[in-house]
Amino acid sequence: MSWVTPHAPRPDELSSCIQCGLCLPSCPTFRLTGLETASPRGRLTAMSAVAAGSPVDGRFEEIMGACLQCRACEVVCPSFVPFGRAMEGARAEIAAQTSGIDRRLRRLVTARLLRSRMAVRLGTLAASIAQATRLTRLAPPRIRGNVAGLRPLKGRPPSIVGRTRTAEGEKRGVAALVAGCVMDAWFGDVHTATVELLAAAGWEVVSPRGQTCCGALAAHDGWADDTRKMASVNMAAFRDVDLVVVNSAGCGAHMKEYDHWVDGGEQLASRVADVNEVVAEAIADGRLPRLSTDGGLVAVQDPCHLRHVQRITDQPRTILAAAGLTAVEIDPNGLCCGAAGIYSLLKPEMSRRLGSSKAEQVEATGASLVASANPGCEIQLRTYLSQLGHEARVAHPVELYWEALQRAERRAAVR
Amino acid sequence: MLTLPPVVQPLTTTIPLAVKRSLELELRRRLGDEQVASDPLDLYVFGKDSGLVRGEPGLVVFPRNTTEVATIMRLAGRHGVPVVPRGSGTGLAGGAVTTGPHVLLVTTRMNRIGPVDVENRCVWVQPGVINLDLSIHTTPLGLHYAPDPSSQSVCTIGGNVANNSGGPHCLAEGTTVNHVLAMEIVTSDGDVLSIGGPAPDPTGLDIRGLMVGSEGTLGIVTDVLVNLLPPPPASRTILLAFPEVQNAAATVSGIIANGLIPAALEMMDQPMTIAVERFANAGFPTDSAAVLIAEVTGHPSAVDAEAELVRRLAVSHRATLTRIASDEAERKRIWLGRKSAFGAIAQMNPDYYLHDTVVPRTRLVEAIEQTYAISKRHDIPMLNVFHAGDGNLHPLMSFDASVPGVMERVDAAGRDLIEMCVAIGGSLSGEHGIGMEKRDYMHLVFDEMGLDAQARIREALDPDGRLNPGKIVPQGSRCFDFGRPPPVGAWV
Repeated sequence: MSWVTPHAPRPDELSSCIQCGLCLPSCPTFRLTGLETASPRGRLTAMSAVAAGSPVDGRFEEIMGACLQCRACEVVCPSFVPFGRAMEGARAEIAAQTSGIDRRLRRLVTARLLRSRMAVRLGTLAASIAQATRLTRLAPPRIRGNVAGLRPLKGRPPSIVGRTRTAEGEKRGVAALVAGCVMDAWFGDVHTATVELLAAAGWEVVSPRGQTCCGALAAHDGWADDTRKMASVNMAAFRDVDLVVVNSAGCGAHMKEYDHWVDGGEQLASRVADVNEVVAEAIADGRLPRLSTDGGLVAVQDPCHLRHVQRITDQPRTILAAAGLTAVEIDPNGLCCGAAGIYSLLKPEMSRRLGSSKAEQVEATGASLVASANPGCEIQLRTYLSQLGHEARVAHPVELYWEALQRAERRAAVR
Repeated sequence: MLTLPPVVQPLTTTIPLAVKRSLELELRRRLGDEQVASDPLDLYVFGKDSGLVRGEPGLVVFPRNTTEVATIMRLAGRHGVPVVPRGSGTGLAGGAVTTGPHVLLVTTRMNRIGPVDVENRCVWVQPGVINLDLSIHTTPLGLHYAPDPSSQSVCTIGGNVANNSGGPHCLAEGTTVNHVLAMEIVTSDGDVLSIGGPAPDPTGLDIRGLMVGSEGTLGIVTDVLVNLLPPPPASRTILLAFPEVQNAAATVSGIIANGLIPAALEMMDQPMTIAVERFANAGFPTDSAAVLIAEVTGHPSAVDAEAELVRRLAVSHRATLTRIASDEAERKRIWLGRKSAFGAIAQMNPDYYLHDTVVPRTRLVEAIEQTYAISKRHDIPMLNVFHAGDGNLHPLMSFDASVPGVMERVDAAGRDLIEMCVAIGGSLSGEHGIGMEKRDYMHLVFDEMGLDAQARIREALDPDGRLNPGKIVPQGSRCFDFGRPPPVGAWV
């Protein structure tokens, strides 16, 4: 049977693994299960088995499905195996070769509903009513944890799409903020902070109409055609700007790899920057200030797609230091928190174990503030911290910096 | 790699389906479904370690404690099915690859570290504990586990014991056998034995020494009491580069001849350095024929003098670079580079064969020259990385197995390497073990009596051949050769 799509793991990708096994300890699922089949090397071997003629069957789907796609393995791989690309290919094969109501539902959510602003806004309205009436307690067990980790939602949140913010001072160029699917509806404060900081750093900020969901969740679940469509739509929408800024680590990581999906995708990918990069650079240049106030401790959680895919670790720490906060480390190895897109819904048990241990690590730091630059991680952390009874605030690094700047301005005005 | 035919053909044996089914059913009943895997895809994934040979286990089991290991041994024994232990699967000699549809016993779920006895500097650990995790665990107590194989971030203590693993820092501190005090093993009959004790010199026969390096052929280790050491009070890591490999080798001999025993003395040749530097950015000079990493440890007042002596010796042998790591970060970067050597070669070709032989340190230059000659003769590129201090060579062959005829050339080059090393007074293996890879070369270093003695020891502890059959000792090693009929129901 073997492969049937053009996205399948390629022979050169599979043969680049020499099976040394150095990836094993960095893999969260190997750490928890001790199974070769739950390790990056084992997954590549299973892909090789299919490439040689094994069927894409239920067991193959289980083995691939257990992967968080956190890509911690890529960082430690001395052979530079493009594991994330191969795994996306394997997922595309599974999506193409299997069926069922579960799969159709997953496609509906990741590849259809998230693309529809109307659907996201309706969902947001429903969720906000549930929050206000405390009906969230009645959510199905599978999603109850995730619902509990949401920020307080507005029923009809303002959208960033179509707005323009002029640059302050000398203009450096036009930066487009990627609105995102849930970022726009659920994380308005992060968008506000992003827009204001970019403007203060000299960027004219736009968020063009015609953009859509980045497609990361669809890509991770194997919906290759939908992923390609979303990438093409965004390539057109962001064609004319100098910089494409993303404040959700997972989206940024995916958009930086649009060349995996669309010919000419690197044309957009090369202009994508995470907001942490842009703001940290402005701080280093002196375009944004460093505050000397003492804001206390902040535990830094590195989202996998920021740390392992985009290899961004110093920048959020620079920003938090500039906000007058003292960064404390949670986990030197950067193991995934278990959110991993829709993984927390698909594999709740594995996700729970990773989420709880991450929350315990946060608690051990003694910080009552946690910085996380990805929406999924933020929700996961809030969920498991509250289960521990640890009332820590979880927020985006740029949000914390923007708030600190505003406080400093108010203090200056009073004097 | 799928396309790669095994260098050594595994033994092929069959186990009747009914026997296999009955064993699987029993194991699932006793251990739980989570502890047993039998799907063809699982069996394929567990069919290999980091080496070249592929096998296919009949069943894979994941015991969580000694009792479960004993249960597995007893059930497998009753069904006449051999058992093969496996840790993280980073072995390179096929030691954890089954030679038939045997039970593969994976120890990764036995990963408990006992309470550290700080005063006596030792700790009981289960075999599935990862080597580096142990040191990370004990570092806050000011202790570490000394043997540091390059795969230490992955490989398990159980695998280290099975192969008597070494590492860059074993030059001064010794290999695994010098750091194991006691162990608990499960015998081929499923009995639990306690071996050794906290005393450094065991009373009676040193069974502990016999077990270390036996590659799971004498028993399954289920708990190990290991020695822990305090970190050296001071250390200096020196990076040296030379215009010729010969200069580096002469420096190694010079250092030892001057009475210094550095904690580590590692060499890489130019092709290896280039591959490693691309991954690790350790600051290795890629334009030198050889790079030497020396580490001296000891009292703060001594290490600077020793580092200076190493530097002077290197300069006298035409060293073009002598750099002492200025801080811990630089030191770590140098070691990361060295320890990535094995994985880094995949950037060149899809397949590799990492060899492991030993030559007397004084013949290092000759061995390197001959290695290059063998590489040329068989047209197989070889990158070299080695524990120069103890003469342990690791030629790394890099090739594309899908090219017709390549595997034959690799095989021939491997044989030439071994024969060359033995001819100049060396040995078959430094630290990777014999496994399947070198089993059929054992006659090069042992005569009939030597092989017979080893076969007898095995027979005494595992009379029915239920433990990791087909490894280390070649078939027919007993002088009377198959004089004893296999027991009824044994499928070995």
